[in-house]
Amino acid sequence: MRLFNQLSGQARPFFTLGMVALAWLLVPAAVKRFARAALFEAQAPILVTAGRVRELQEYWALRTRPANELIAAGHETAKALAGYELGVARLGPIEEENMRLRELLAMPPQPGWRYEHAAVDVRDFSAWWQQLVIRKGSDYGIPVDAPVVFAGGVVGRVREVHAHTSVVALLSDPGVRLAVAVEGDSRPISYAGGDNPVFGPARGTVEYVPTDLIASPAVPRHLLTSGLGGVFPAGLPVGLLTRVEPSTDGLFNIGEVRLPAALSELSEVTVLVPDATLGRPDLRATAPKP
Amino acid sequence: MSRAAANLPEGVLAHSARDRRLRLFYFLTAGLLLTLVGGLVWQQLLRKELYHEREQRQGQRRVLVPGPRGRILDREGRVLAGNHARFGVTIALDELAREFRDESREVRQNYRAAAEAEPPSSAQLEQIARITVVQRYLSSVDTILGRQTRLDPIALQTHYREQPLLPYFLLNDLAPEEYARLVEQLPVSSPLQVFAASMREYPQGPLAAHTIGYVAAGMSREPPEDFPGDNLDTFQLKDWAGRDGLEGKFDATLRGGVGGVIIRVSPAGYRLNPPLVKLPPEHGGDLMTSLDADLQAAAETALTAVDYAGAAVALDVHTGEVLVLASAPGYNLQNFTPHVGQATVNDMDARNAWTNRAVAGFYPPGSTFKVITAIAALRSGALTPDQLMEQPCDGRIPIGNTWKTCDNGAGHHGALSLSAAIAESCDIYFYQAGLLTKPEVIAAEARRFHLDRRPDIELPFLSAKNDRSLIPDSAWKQRVQHSSWFQGDTANMAIGQGAVLVSPLTMACFAASLARDEVFTQPTLLHDPGAATQHHERTGLTVAQRDALIEGMEGCTMSTSTVIGTAHSLTNPNLRIPGLRIAGKTGTAQSTGNKDVAWFICFAPLEHPQIAIAVALEGDKAGETLGGGSYAAPIAQEILRKWNEKQTHAPVPTGPVRFTLPPESATP
Repeated sequence: MRLFNQLSGQARPFFTLGMVALAWLLVPAAVKRFARAALFEAQAPILVTAGRVRELQEYWALRTRPANELIAAGHETAKALAGYELGVARLGPIEEENMRLRELLAMPPQPGWRYEHAAVDVRDFSAWWQQLVIRKGSDYGIPVDAPVVFAGGVVGRVREVHAHTSVVALLSDPGVRLAVAVEGDSRPISYAGGDNPVFGPARGTVEYVPTDLIASPAVPRHLLTSGLGGVFPAGLPVGLLTRVEPSTDGLFNIGEVRLPAALSELSEVTVLVPDATLGRPDLRATAPKP
Repeated sequence: MSRAAANLPEGVLAHSARDRRLRLFYFLTAGLLLTLVGGLVWQQLLRKELYHEREQRQGQRRVLVPGPRGRILDREGRVLAGNHARFGVTIALDELAREFRDESREVRQNYRAAAEAEPPSSAQLEQIARITVVQRYLSSVDTILGRQTRLDPIALQTHYREQPLLPYFLLNDLAPEEYARLVEQLPVSSPLQVFAASMREYPQGPLAAHTIGYVAAGMSREPPEDFPGDNLDTFQLKDWAGRDGLEGKFDATLRGGVGGVIIRVSPAGYRLNPPLVKLPPEHGGDLMTSLDADLQAAAETALTAVDYAGAAVALDVHTGEVLVLASAPGYNLQNFTPHVGQATVNDMDARNAWTNRAVAGFYPPGSTFKVITAIAALRSGALTPDQLMEQPCDGRIPIGNTWKTCDNGAGHHGALSLSAAIAESCDIYFYQAGLLTKPEVIAAEARRFHLDRRPDIELPFLSAKNDRSLIPDSAWKQRVQHSSWFQGDTANMAIGQGAVLVSPLTMACFAASLARDEVFTQPTLLHDPGAATQHHERTGLTVAQRDALIEGMEGCTMSTSTVIGTAHSLTNPNLRIPGLRIAGKTGTAQSTGNKDVAWFICFAPLEHPQIAIAVALEGDKAGETLGGGSYAAPIAQEILRKWNEKQTHAPVPTGPVRFTLPPESATP
């Protein structure tokens, strides 16, 4: 009897574990989804706090810099802002003229975008996934699959949306694919992430490259979003096509894409939220204030 | 109990390591450890290959891709049949097993809820589930593309039954913009995948469709022996196989070699780059044909304009290379890729457009055969060039028990020399010439010129079995019609009527042979820039005899104060080709089914022949009488006009052309 009690005492943890696993299997899918979302939402404050602590660290790190250096950086920022302001001012009339011509030709209106700027809380890079957690979620109306950009071009697209945070799959993530085109050429090419060596920067790959498009490390070609895919607007930089070689189908080439180094150091990104109420992107409305 | 145990506190038991009772447990433990080690060795070393293979099967995929098919070019390198990429969407059925199962269960429940008297069987339920699930995926693609596509349930079932592990092709006609939308909007790990495959394209449109032939999805082919991965899940794009025309005849040349890749797939289903193994497919060999796209286009345009079924063939007189091989009605090869639809088949059936009439159309040659009769008469000595017939042409002549008439021109040609009789195609003259020459001699002469068989050419399905060429004689008539040979038969044969049957290709070869003063021309559809002039047996005509013959053939295309040729329409200002002298012969015959057949054979330039042409049209339009001079000759003239435009013009001599025969060839 004593032996039975001893054995049952030893087996109790395993029995409990088995019962929990069985219970989890029997739990309805909706409850599981809720549990998972709740887990992420519970983690979210920690991620956001970690992000804010990092910002605080950067702030104090900057405070240690000499005043002259900070003033010089402020001047540089002001210059950059002035340059952007000028660009936006020039772009305005061009956009209006474009709108007028489209109306004259009875062309359908272009999709409009609302810009949501968000801070990056977590940068999560591995061979399996490459993603960011940003500090805005459904509270700002961010939808799944929305394109995400930064000053250097495409960042990726929104993979998951939570209440106050979103997960963005980077261009280097194997789950990201988009229709791109070589600058100056309108033929669509399929870009995919996922070529992420253990030691070295992440790369992208392209398929269905027309055989007459040549690129090499010495003479790379700029890859831009084609705008044909229906998700990303046209003309956003994606990377540099540095190498092409014949594909196995004999009809096209495949190639290797060098991605912007800044992708791994992002601290701020912009989510393009499709907005049917906007006939076209209102750049001036979202331009940074001087 | 050991001695050491004696010093222990009360309640604590200790055993010596050498306690005999513990040995049993030592052995037991050792046995268990050995079992574990043995199992480890068994699994990790001895069964390594098995697990390695399983890992490969789970994490690797082999994709086999046929090499692009070789191009078919015309003699100037213009692409008649090439390739272009075509984008499509596939769905991996093997990844949908769970969805099929869930859907099947739901359908079953629905039937139970509806209390159907005769619910479907399990197999039918599974079928319904598969169709529903795949249609759902297809609808999601349609939503992205803004189109509406219907799933072919029979094709899906066939594919599932025969190749369940291979992806099913949902769409294969995506425009680049549509492909771009799918690339960006379909999840990377979706069972739906975008692919690109090589498709046939025809930059010259429907040009030379019968000669080029069509392709259809062929059987999957094995990769090279040294390509690994036999045990892996393999996705193979189907190759194209030539079914007709040059595509069929030179299928082995045109087909590319199979290549492919072995890729790694992550547990999440993502493809991991770079591929483990990569073998580029080999491009199929190009085929340079002897066709001239410009001349072919001219022929087909002219054939289409007259709106009769028929054919036009043009040959290079010296090499026998086929410059034009046109058949009407034609068809658009683009309608055969990626597969021929029922509407196209019905249209082809209705227009009787499948037959390549240039090689598979057999017609009585009509008056074009008079050239053979004339050669037989001259060579046998039955006639001399200047000899007049006993009975001049007054429109009719008694032969045997019947009256034969002259149906050409005014029908009252009067007394004619041989050349005038050829130019004006006088039937009365040739009835008498035939009777003077004897049918066996005419038949032998026709056979000497190889009119009794269709020439070999690089096209499929041209066997002796379906060669309906016929040069009749008394033995044939006795054997087939169980009847004797009468004078009327000789008269009919002398003017290319009766049972005589030839193909347009045969007559084009005959015209080319005549231009070289030889009895045979071997045609070819392959271009050889260094091809030498063919040499075969000479006709055996004397210079005077040949001059008379050629004079008559040139007269056929002219209108003078003394002779009005049957093809004098070519002298009309809108048809005339300045500076080009043509030797031709018209023909009009009645074929089976009471159809008229219009013929024109010719070669040009008369002074130094380069191109030989035969045109045949068939039809029975009410209110229209097909005539060689008015219908067939203008088509040949359009070919000649285009040919003439492409030549470097040399000074054209005027006056009568005297033929200096080339030296005897050593080749028989």
